[in-house]
Amino acid sequence: MSFTRKARARAMQGGGTYEEIAPAIDSCLLCGACETACPEGIELAELNIHQRQELNRQRTTYPRWYPADSNGMIDSGRRPDEQTLLLAGGLLGSKQALCLSLLEQLGTAGKTALARDDGQDIAKIMEAGLPLSPERVERFVSSLRSARTLIVAEGLLHRPLRAWLPGTKILGPGEALLSDASLRLLLRPEDLYIIEGRGYHTDHRRLAGFYHRLRHETGCYTNLDLQRTAFSTGAASLQGRNNIAAAGCIENAKRILKGKKAGRVVVEDLADSEAFRLATDLPVIHIAQLRRGKLSYED
Amino acid sequence: MIETNVIKDKAAQANGLWNRVGDQTNPSRWNGEKWRSFVDHLNSRGVIVHEALPDVSVFVSDAGGLALGMPHGIVRPFSADEIAEVLKAAQIYAVPVTTRGGGLTTEGESVAFGGLLLDMSSMNRVLAVDPVNLTVRTEAGIYWHQLAETLRQDGLDYLSAPLNLTSSVGGTLGVGGIDINSPRLGCSADQCLALKVVTPTGEIIECSTTENSALMERVLLGYGQFGVIVEATLKIRLFTPIIMKYFYYSSLRTAMEDLKYIAHEDAADYSGILTIMDRAINLLVAFDSDEREKEFNLRWRRHLRGYGEASFGLRMAGYYLLHPWKFREAAYLIGRRLTLFPEFWKPEYMHKGKIVDRTVVFSRAVWKFWGGRKMVIPDLAASEEKFIEAVERGNQVCRKYFRHYTLYCVGIKLFNSRERYEMSCIPPDAGDIAFGCEFEPMLRDTDYSRDYLQSFKNEIYDIGVDMGLSYYRFGGMMKGYIRKAFGDDLVDKHLALKQQADPAMILNRDVIF
Ligand SMILES: Cc1cc2nc3c(=O)[nH]c(=O)nc-3n(C[C@H](O)[C@H](O)[C@H](O)COP(=O)(O)OP(=O)(O)OC[C@H]3O[C@@H](n4cnc5c(N)ncnc54)[C@H](O)[C@@H]3O)c2cc1C
Ligand code: SF4
Repeated sequence: MSFTRKARARAMQGGGTYEEIAPAIDSCLLCGACETACPEGIELAELNIHQRQELNRQRTTYPRWYPADSNGMIDSGRRPDEQTLLLAGGLLGSKQALCLSLLEQLGTAGKTALARDDGQDIAKIMEAGLPLSPERVERFVSSLRSARTLIVAEGLLHRPLRAWLPGTKILGPGEALLSDASLRLLLRPEDLYIIEGRGYHTDHRRLAGFYHRLRHETGCYTNLDLQRTAFSTGAASLQGRNNIAAAGCIENAKRILKGKKAGRVVVEDLADSEAFRLATDLPVIHIAQLRRGKLSYED
Repeated sequence: MIETNVIKDKAAQANGLWNRVGDQTNPSRWNGEKWRSFVDHLNSRGVIVHEALPDVSVFVSDAGGLALGMPHGIVRPFSADEIAEVLKAAQIYAVPVTTRGGGLTTEGESVAFGGLLLDMSSMNRVLAVDPVNLTVRTEAGIYWHQLAETLRQDGLDYLSAPLNLTSSVGGTLGVGGIDINSPRLGCSADQCLALKVVTPTGEIIECSTTENSALMERVLLGYGQFGVIVEATLKIRLFTPIIMKYFYYSSLRTAMEDLKYIAHEDAADYSGILTIMDRAINLLVAFDSDEREKEFNLRWRRHLRGYGEASFGLRMAGYYLLHPWKFREAAYLIGRRLTLFPEFWKPEYMHKGKIVDRTVVFSRAVWKFWGGRKMVIPDLAASEEKFIEAVERGNQVCRKYFRHYTLYCVGIKLFNSRERYEMSCIPPDAGDIAFGCEFEPMLRDTDYSRDYLQSFKNEIYDIGVDMGLSYYRFGGMMKGYIRKAFGDDLVDKHLALKQQADPAMILNRDVIF
């Protein structure tokens, strides 16, 4: 039987063990939607990770999609002195042209740079509920200390970065780009705009207002439901990266599309574009391509 | 962090509270006789029964959190045929079956004390939307919130539903379903045009007001006694954002008189009273269109005696200056005002001064400010004539038991004297409109004993017996009141109908009879 977030809590309260509900814990895509849906404001995203950590303490074999422990693999390089750093991460990090285009659009006279250490390994380890090396975290954090603003594509890093670097502004690429009114003008009513859920849900109060205004200004569709929760494809999750179909990401993309008369899909998170390209024939672009209206994100 | 293994008394004791003879609390757990043969039988027919501890633990209680019971197994059906198999086998092996939708009952009516639990949330598809005739056909396990998501894609909305996000269509039709537009539109059950029902003996029957209407009348507001609702056709409407207005009162009686007046005059599309104890009484009214609001302002507003927020605030300040020893109460009111009201004006749910998603706004606020691990929400449903006295008496009981509580009052339009209202939450002597009041203590920070809470509920329900009223939540732990409230003749009539429809008395057996 599959379990909702609440059902998992109930199952544990009834005496179930982590191992007994392992499939439910493993199938969580850590999208964070349950956290915003929870009216009591419980930080469920953290509890979901905690459940994974507890489960890992009890088991010796892991699902296929688990990452290899790569703590300490990344060289932070020189300490950057730019005020704004882009932490590309994941799929975006591997698309150099797209990253440069993003930087160009974000850039204020050379003050924005690509972080050499985007903490992607840390995000993966956290997501899997595996132990993080404090030294690795310290190296990562110290490489970011001089920046005032971090634009972080990996939504899972938003909350820990806020804790590690209080006072530093943490934004997703979507919010960072769309703060520019000329870019918002390029969004059309027939666009389906896909908000990256993990980052959005950690700063829901503020961002719900931001995207509410965006919707009314542009008339575009979004993946927000009536509770202003972002319905995620889950493509950015470890499970989704391992097997996008098996993790249900294509089905999720189809559900998001259902009932919307969209003519184009615009994604904040590059991982989502893959799910939508497999779910629909509509053109799918990344937000960094809005200005050029380019349909492919290949370099 | 999650507490584990906290539910120790899996087999709850019968009549755990005995201070009041005849009052039902947790029933005994069914003894499990022939369970294995029942499961084997179902398995041989391709029905999967989940029996693992984590699976059954999910359903250990309901939203009330006070009734504890464990089913022996769960079936998550995907078709009427599957449910029919379950009920046919249950009749043969005499296994109790409890139907559960969202599990938002508070008296354990959706808790299985052993036997099989049918988790209807698996049947959650919208089957057909008819935007011309304004109807929707849906599977009954769907939550109203999910239904709203689908309807909104076509600019449509449901008519009325409970103010929470996770009650299901089937569960709501089974108990009534009251919304703040019920003074105009009646209860959710009255929005229903047709049903597909699996009877307790496993027959699959389509019913409506013209086809198998007797079954329809039994199943609506029937607490799941006469069948499992599998599909429902409901009336729907065009979606509209709403314009909301608040009036503040320091007299409960005046506010209730004005509520009655609004309902009578059909002066607003939505109306209800929400209070902070009996100190700050808020009468809310809302409108689907600018025209309705305009008409209200022109014709009815001047008759209302409530204040605007600022002048009410000044009056309250004056009152507490003269009663400085009540500073704690004043602090509570201010704190509540500061946290609660922004919840109704969140910019992301507003557009051009109107609330766009009222169901979300209200439901989230209800959970946030009135929800909790334990909830008791005894209520009284009265005719127009008896309403004010009932609420005032209930209010005295709340004052006696709790420092902080809320009253929620709303009107319910009635349609003729339909059979479905008999032995339901609709009071027998109500005319065109009935009124309900929920008495909800704020339990959050205090761990009240079950006895204490039960005594509170009993005192509220005693008012009902004394005044000849009805209750929204009369089943489950409160079923001891059914005979007292409805009388032997009516209960025996329904019992005979039940025995005829359900020879082994397997369906929802701990709820009513
Ligand atoms: C915080 C909170 C707020 C609430 N607000 C409101 C409100 O504003 N208005 C209101 O009317 N109520 C309200 N309620 C009560 C609750 O919403 C109703 O009891 C509710 O509609 C039940 O729906 P459910 O799906 O949760 O049903 P359940 O709790 O699962 O079941 C209710 C009853 O119906 C039976 N049942 C369930 N599904 C079916 C089915 N498919 N066929 C036949 N019988 C079935 C069950 O056996 C049970 O007896 C509230 C409750 C809470 C806890
Ligand atoms: S994080 Fe997402 S996938 Fe995981 S339980 Fe919450 S809503 Fe479900």
